[in-house]
Amino acid sequence: MEEILNINSISKRYGKVKALNNVSLQINRGEIYGILGPNGSGKTTTLGVILGVLNADSGSYCWNGKTPSKNDRKNIGSLLETPNFYPYLTARQNLSIACEVKEVVQSEVDRVLNVVDLINRADSKFKTFSLGMKQRLAIASALLGNPETLVLDEPTNGLDPQGIAEIRTIILDLAKNGKTIIMASHILDEVEKTCTHVAVLKLGNLLTYGPIQSVLNNQEQVLVVSENLDLLKLTLAQIDGVSNIKQIKDKVSLILAKGKDISYLNSALFDKGIAVSEIGVQDSDLEANFLELIK
Amino acid sequence: MLDLLRIEYKKLTPYPTFWIIFGLFFLFTPFVFYGAGQIKFDAFPIDFATIYNFPNVWNIITYIASWFNLLIGMLLVIIVCNEFSFKTFRQQVINGHSKADFIISKILLIISFSLLSTLYLFFIGAFFGYISGSEASILTNTKYLLIYFIQSLGYMSVALILAIIIRSSAMSIILFVCSIFVESIIRLFVPEVLASYFPMKIISNLTPFPSPGGVQVSSINAVITDSISLNISIIVAIVYIILFWGFSYIILTKKDIN
Repeated sequence: MEEILNINSISKRYGKVKALNNVSLQINRGEIYGILGPNGSGKTTTLGVILGVLNADSGSYCWNGKTPSKNDRKNIGSLLETPNFYPYLTARQNLSIACEVKEVVQSEVDRVLNVVDLINRADSKFKTFSLGMKQRLAIASALLGNPETLVLDEPTNGLDPQGIAEIRTIILDLAKNGKTIIMASHILDEVEKTCTHVAVLKLGNLLTYGPIQSVLNNQEQVLVVSENLDLLKLTLAQIDGVSNIKQIKDKVSLILAKGKDISYLNSALFDKGIAVSEIGVQDSDLEANFLELIK
Repeated sequence: MLDLLRIEYKKLTPYPTFWIIFGLFFLFTPFVFYGAGQIKFDAFPIDFATIYNFPNVWNIITYIASWFNLLIGMLLVIIVCNEFSFKTFRQQVINGHSKADFIISKILLIISFSLLSTLYLFFIGAFFGYISGSEASILTNTKYLLIYFIQSLGYMSVALILAIIIRSSAMSIILFVCSIFVESIIRLFVPEVLASYFPMKIISNLTPFPSPGGVQVSSINAVITDSISLNISIIVAIVYIILFWGFSYIILTKKDIN
């Protein structure tokens, strides 16, 4: 796999707050890499550093194996936090300026406005746009020059469900065309539906990273029903490889360690004198796994 | 580098404030200059209309325009602060500009504004000089235009560094306009030898107050402050301008772009 971005032990402080703590990450060509974490976990700071707007206190990063330069950024389409344009200029004028900065032909303006379905509002001033239109214009700007890599920070932030679906469709279409997409989000559902890989940050620390299924779905949640739920919970707590025991209505949910399966659990409970009326694997609960990770 | 300037004007030409402030400069400068020549004091035996004559015209029109220079300085503050408040500076760095590109583009803008206003003064001065029927050479004392150009660079460089440090239009404009007064208060507590070299003092003294009526214009090499000649003032002003540009770059590179 061809490495697009290599982040090597980056740390960044804001006064006493450690925003990033020795974060290292490798992203390969064609991956849709979600950077996931709660608010304040360091997602935007990570993207700010790799896009050259924040100075890291230590560590380094390189794009395509080379020391970062402004020319790298010209070949990366980026949206960092909010859409940033001149409010008194039209969509077309704003994109025209972005074309000049990126050294991209002006004909790109109409192409990207078509992609995000804003061509009819090309000559409207940015300040008259709704939040969803502003976000789409920011994505249009990121698409100028048809870059191979896109860096998107909370691309569906503040959008209504229809807007979210539209942006998600655009991202998935781009991914189908082989683009490498690095996307920060605190919305698990968004990352789950869009990304192939994920890195999870919490308080500036990189907790885990890798293919999304192995990171967020590596433990099976099991549901057990028995006559005496309190006794069931007490007994489960004594069984090796069982964790995260919770009562959900009339069932008890638990996480089984790798290598343990339902038959193991069933016989362990039987040996301890518990008769179960129902036992089964719950469909993957990414949210539970994510919350478990960042706990 | 001209590409950077072209981008700057692409941003500015649709910006109403740009036209309003330059419009005020273009309107007020000849208006006030014309008005100054119409002053009549019966008790004061000076014909103020001679200010329109060559070479008087250059000293007086640059002196009058130097006050409106503050307007263009304010415009520069607004332009630079807008880049921070709209977060367009950040976006342009993300899109592939460097922080040096940002400073260079603003310096080019400063130079172009100074050139534009100096050229305008040349045409206005030449116009008044010719219609007044003056017979002296148009070129005599045009050095005042060059001095005005440097002064204009100086004011806008102060505006640039203030805008980069403060990043808020309102605060930067207040500080910029008050800087002359604030500096004069500070100078009271500093030995006179040093006080003469303070930046706003040096820059504002570049266009000397004309002699009464503008009839006897002070010589280009005249002593314009208590202790500093005009030539020294020009050199010190240029040093300040370069320092302001350099410090603007250093401040910008050290700070994160939020």
